[in-house]
Amino acid sequence: MKTSRMWQMVPLLAPVQLLLLSVIVIPSVYVIWLSFHTSTFGQSASFVGWENYVRVLTDPGFHNALWNTVVLVVVAVHLEMLIALGMALLFNSGLWFRRILFVAVLAPYAVSEVVGVAMWRFLFDPDVGPVSNLLTALHLPLLEWSYEPSHAMIMIAILTIWMHLPFTFVIIYAARLALPSDLYEAARIDGATPLQSFRRVTMPLLGPAILVALLFRYIFAFRLFSEVWLLTGGGPARTTEVVAVYLYQEAFTFSAFGPAAATAWIMVIVSMLLASGYIYLLRRQVRNAG
Amino acid sequence: MSESNAFRLTRRHFLGTVAGGIALMAAGPSFAQSKTLQVLSHRVHQTSLGEGDKDLLADWKQDHDTDVVFTTLDSNPLMDRLFREASLAQTDFSVGYMVDNRPTSDNAKLFESLQEYQDKDPIEAFDDIAAGLVRGMTIDGRLIGIPVRTATQGLFYNEELLAEAGFDAPPTTLEELVAQTIAISEHGKATGMILASDLAVFPVMFARAFGGDFINSDFELLPDPAAMESALTVLADMFQKGALPRSYATNKGEELLTWMQQGRAAFCVLPFARAAQLNDPAVSNYAGKIKAIGFPISETLKGKAEMSAVVEAWAMTIPANAVDKDLAWQFIKEVSSKKNTLGMALNGNGPARVSTFLEPELTAKNALAEIESQVLSNARGAFPPFAEAARAQQIFIEEVQLAVLGRKSPQDAVAAMQTRIQPLLPA
Repeated sequence: MKTSRMWQMVPLLAPVQLLLLSVIVIPSVYVIWLSFHTSTFGQSASFVGWENYVRVLTDPGFHNALWNTVVLVVVAVHLEMLIALGMALLFNSGLWFRRILFVAVLAPYAVSEVVGVAMWRFLFDPDVGPVSNLLTALHLPLLEWSYEPSHAMIMIAILTIWMHLPFTFVIIYAARLALPSDLYEAARIDGATPLQSFRRVTMPLLGPAILVALLFRYIFAFRLFSEVWLLTGGGPARTTEVVAVYLYQEAFTFSAFGPAAATAWIMVIVSMLLASGYIYLLRRQVRNAG
Repeated sequence: MSESNAFRLTRRHFLGTVAGGIALMAAGPSFAQSKTLQVLSHRVHQTSLGEGDKDLLADWKQDHDTDVVFTTLDSNPLMDRLFREASLAQTDFSVGYMVDNRPTSDNAKLFESLQEYQDKDPIEAFDDIAAGLVRGMTIDGRLIGIPVRTATQGLFYNEELLAEAGFDAPPTTLEELVAQTIAISEHGKATGMILASDLAVFPVMFARAFGGDFINSDFELLPDPAAMESALTVLADMFQKGALPRSYATNKGEELLTWMQQGRAAFCVLPFARAAQLNDPAVSNYAGKIKAIGFPISETLKGKAEMSAVVEAWAMTIPANAVDKDLAWQFIKEVSSKKNTLGMALNGNGPARVSTFLEPELTAKNALAEIESQVLSNARGAFPPFAEAARAQQIFIEEVQLAVLGRKSPQDAVAAMQTRIQPLLPA
């Protein structure tokens, strides 16, 4: 593109660039600056170097929150992907009442997170929750999420999968619908079993969509907050705290803006590291496609 | 396309509409009162002042040609917003409500010193406002808030559930309370007691019943560690025997009301001012049957020491960067008047004025006013304010939960509190 033409386009692109600058770049730079200072209400910021990062990285509370986050992200995102893939294939194979079921699958995305968590809290209330009562009536073990940390983690994972399944499902289902049917015809003529068709045709062609969905979900899931905050508040005794809750407490309960800013940047770096494998695969796919 | 379109927007139409809109918006305030006072508070502060025909400030608003606009938030977000607003170059909020365990030497600088306003244009019978509450809002010698609400914790009980379990009177000692909660749970109709696990108030009440404390006004951490161990032992025993619900560790403050209203628990600790909500026939299954007393002391201390309940107080402040500080002071002066303190008390607000508790109009309407007054006379905050108070409270709650759920012995939990909280206290 000629330089003169590019300059002509600047006024058209400027609003978007300004928007990005004002809502992403400048706040990010400010948070970096803040992470190297100690600051609270009524106290001017003073430079402390890497102290905030050291403080956060050596805090056992942060280690626990980070471990919980990684476990929840890895378990919930992959389980969600498997369920979404299965459902997409099921929908594609032809189902009765497909439209109604489609609405039912998408419904959690239309429900406010706060309402959704309140609903699950009530359903699984250990004393009066309908699901807990049903489990008791069937002599099945209760999900004691308010007492047993491992049960609480399972409950958070189920809740986050339920909330975000529509996102993953829509991506996979749309990708599956786009696959040409003649490939399956060819596979059938060649004598491929349904399992072989799935392994040799469906999976390779759904690969890019699965990667994109996984990448987005990894990044979103790492910011996991409302499910934990509204369900357990990080309890019992901080055993289900995740990094976003840790950050919230530092910033808005303890008004310690330096450690909160350092936590935010550590969160960005760790989530990028966690997703780096998928980013690498995605780049390789894009390069191969080009 | 040259076809004429009835909805086509010409430049002239567009500019005319924009100019007209701006003129209309500029004229907008003339429909309302000429001045607006923005107040940042909890919803309870707004409702206690009455609304509509029962607005206690109706005459003041007319006399001052002022409209009062409340922005309300829950306690923690409210404090965060207030300090954030006060940290800006200028804030639209001229009055902010602050809870008494939040002001510190650092953040108190963000608020006006109100003594100068009081000297110039005094609040009616200022000495009548509880001196301890005024001291709580005096930071480094500067009075930064005028106390307006007290929330003194009492022990509520459902007399029907007690009677069904064979108790014809509420407990007079902590040991009796524990025995009653266990018996009621064993009876099977309700859980003995409901407590929220996200606030220090509840374990502090149990510790004080044994003569202990969390952090006293001299910033002494766990002045009697054995008393705190006894409190945690009692709570852990109650949890193990089902006298506290299995959901104890995730119960939040706002859930206590519904547990009591639905008869799911027989006892709870709540501010006396909640009596009206607990007995409201529209929302409570046990209206008129939920009574309150002062939290009982341990039998080992009965007659030897007074139980010191936890009281939380709210005060009105003026951010130093507020736009209309004089109008804000006029508002504070009006809200703090004897007349309005009584009016708010009749609406369920815990008064900050000592004399209000003795007003016949209040004692006739609120049977608990006298009990509350007695409990308040010896009450104090859960812990004093200091820079790391919120973090200290979180550690305290974490260790309490571990002990109550049986994951740590009370002795280990108390030892951990000492190790982890001591470095956070002011030197």
